[in-house]
Amino acid sequence: MIRSDFFLIDSLSKLIGIFVVFFTVIIFIYSLGFIKTKKLSYYFWFFVTALASLGVCFSNNLILITIFWGFLGLTLFQLISLHSEANMPSVAKKAFIIVAGSDGFLLFGFLLYASLSAQPFSNASIAAHALPINSTLALISFILIAIGCFAKAGCMPFHTWIPEVAESASVPVVAYLPASLDKLLGIYLLLRVVKDMFVLNSAAQAILMIAGSITILGAVMMALIQHNVRKLLGYHAVSQVGYMVLGLACATPLGLAAGLFHMVNHAIYKSCLFLGAGNIEARTGTGELDNLGGLGKFMPLTFITTLIASFSISGIPPFNGFVSKWMIYQGLIDVSSSSAWGTMKVIVLLSLLCALIGSGLTLASFLKLNSGVFMGSCKKPAKEAGWLLLFAPVVLSLLCVGFGIFASITILPFINKAVGGFSLTGLWQPKLATGLLIMGVLAGFIIFKIMSRKIRTVASFVGGETLTVEEEVKIGDFYNTFRQLAPLKGLYALAEKKFFDLYEQTKSFCFLFVRFLRYLHNGVLPSYLSWCLLGALGLFFAFFK
Amino acid sequence: MIMGISRAIFTYLIFPGIAFSFFMGGIGWWLERKLSARFQYRVGPPWYQTFLDLAKLFIKETTIPTGAVKTLFVISPLISFSATAMFSAIVAQGYFFQKNAVADVIVLLYLLIIPSLFIILGAFSSRNALALVGAARETKLMLAYEFVFIISLIIVIIKSGGSILLSDIIRYQAQNGMHLKSASGFIAITLSIFYIQAKLGIVPFDMAEADQEIMAGTMIEYSGPLLGFFRASKTLLYFSLPLFIITLLGVVPGDTLPAKILFVALEYLIVILIISIIKNINPRARIKDALSFFWFFLSPLGIIGILLALKGM
Repeated sequence: MIRSDFFLIDSLSKLIGIFVVFFTVIIFIYSLGFIKTKKLSYYFWFFVTALASLGVCFSNNLILITIFWGFLGLTLFQLISLHSEANMPSVAKKAFIIVAGSDGFLLFGFLLYASLSAQPFSNASIAAHALPINSTLALISFILIAIGCFAKAGCMPFHTWIPEVAESASVPVVAYLPASLDKLLGIYLLLRVVKDMFVLNSAAQAILMIAGSITILGAVMMALIQHNVRKLLGYHAVSQVGYMVLGLACATPLGLAAGLFHMVNHAIYKSCLFLGAGNIEARTGTGELDNLGGLGKFMPLTFITTLIASFSISGIPPFNGFVSKWMIYQGLIDVSSSSAWGTMKVIVLLSLLCALIGSGLTLASFLKLNSGVFMGSCKKPAKEAGWLLLFAPVVLSLLCVGFGIFASITILPFINKAVGGFSLTGLWQPKLATGLLIMGVLAGFIIFKIMSRKIRTVASFVGGETLTVEEEVKIGDFYNTFRQLAPLKGLYALAEKKFFDLYEQTKSFCFLFVRFLRYLHNGVLPSYLSWCLLGALGLFFAFFK
Repeated sequence: MIMGISRAIFTYLIFPGIAFSFFMGGIGWWLERKLSARFQYRVGPPWYQTFLDLAKLFIKETTIPTGAVKTLFVISPLISFSATAMFSAIVAQGYFFQKNAVADVIVLLYLLIIPSLFIILGAFSSRNALALVGAARETKLMLAYEFVFIISLIIVIIKSGGSILLSDIIRYQAQNGMHLKSASGFIAITLSIFYIQAKLGIVPFDMAEADQEIMAGTMIEYSGPLLGFFRASKTLLYFSLPLFIITLLGVVPGDTLPAKILFVALEYLIVILIISIIKNINPRARIKDALSFFWFFLSPLGIIGILLALKGM
């Protein structure tokens, strides 16, 4: 461990730093094949982002962190607005306002923290003093810093920039910032907050858990009804943050390790998914589920990598997403059985429920994505993407398998070092289980081969009629049943009116205020003159009464 | 060493693993058919009918629809069967030998998703419009029943003192009496029985395979050995799902193996009876109604169950 006034290099920041470099390299390779225009400024901002991210993970000084953090907001804005499409300026502006605006909260939180922990602000360290949350001020400071982390990582209610950026920015940018680096850094800082800066009390834990649970369910319910591949993935990029926050909220070594591991896994499979979506868009020119279909035969590698990443994100054993989710559940169960406070127990168990349910809903929405894009009837034949575009998804999906089956010998030792020793309470032997699964499939395949020597290929049977898939079912509308159910109907309607969007709400509130000022500033000279006259009269009255 | 390995293979494949579960499942499926027949004043099939049906499928021809994603179409039933077989072996070993092998209850919950997942993927890959309708229904139904089963699992975890290992759950019940005797345990068993009903696709929750409307839906394009593997995994689940529920909620204290088998047989009989009563007094539900029933009726009941379990009731 290296520690100075400004920099801190311990096993946690090393782990994050390694993954920052890893994702920079892998997405750089992808960008070489993908980015065709404005290369110079793209790569400039790309590497500034990497440097600023490394700055965040190796800083010890709170001011230094805030500065690097602020740089990241700027590079995010630049990278989004670089390859601009029609609605880009408003999307980039929204992302910038949310991310950079939350920096203000972060700075204020740091200021409060420094004064409460009796450190001079110019020299306050991120890991020197664990402040117990025993006063309202400490709780406020904790919440302010958490808001900064939430906005960066995309936890509700500061998530709204992510789905929009995911839909309209260029694919490597989405895979690089909201899908991997922003998660790495946001959750890294939250981990520092939970582990080194504060000693959480039940209230703080409850706040994190409620935010996490709402994020998981709310975002995944929105993802279910999306028609655009990237927007669907964007909502999942929000939903998965909920799991990480739940893990960190446990504040036990197991919970912290689970949250950290889930963050790493999320960065891996989500960037794999985004890059896969990029390949599809690069080849077909569209990301709408209703216009895609049957690409499995044409783009087999993209299909397999996307399928593996989909299984990972839905938590299908033995892939990596499952292992970290399983650790999160254990962390939650541990906290619930050790906490004495009744309400806390209920909150923890309801969060566990939300987390378990969220993973089923995730699976459902990825079934829709995979069937819509790769199966069904082909609407646009396409070629498989080039090797530069395939390299990253293939490596990332291999990592999904590797970190899943061999978690205990590859990544968990490092995580163990970073959070300081955790032990699992459950039982899962992925190597044995995978072996048994594969043997079962092989045995079944041999039986199949022996028993069916003759295989006939026939046209599919639809009650004797010749119906095509698209006449019968629209994959985009797969889960519209949910919209028709009574209590969800109203919620979906409100969500589509952006009622839950904090940004839009604040914006409309500001405009309400501004409208009055606009009404005054009507640009007509006589009205300005009359205002001056009124003001002068007021002054006269004040001074000479 | 060799003794140990051969014993492990024996427990996995024969008793109480795959072969035993398969046999019991076949008997259970037959029993359900026989009971339904008696409800309708029919004679019903002989006890070995399930096995005959299966054997017939394995000697039939395989057809693959044109334009299917072939690899996925063929491998889906195999993975589905393999995962179910592993699930059955783990649960049976846990119950009969109090042995923790491979997985805890949360992993088992996830392993149970794999068969349904590959039924859905198989249906998608067949590129048949009716299969697609069936798959969409199966997915929504899966969300409905998983919701409910998760709740009853949480009730069990609370009641067993926060342990997620099968052996701990069994030991806790052997010492303190079975969970289903308490109020929350009763709620959990109610939810679980509806879960079994839906997971096995028995009326009123057979909308994914509804023969009369969408002609076996998810299964429409499957034939021969491939359909046989799907049916075989369903046969396995016919026993291992009720056994899993019995392990979680209704362990009768009993030390010897014959006593255990006897009690399991008895409880299994009761579960099959309840399932076939529900089947025979209900028509097929629409998917929307099934979702509402699971989400807005059973789940709130389950949440009450969780609160009761926290109170120790």
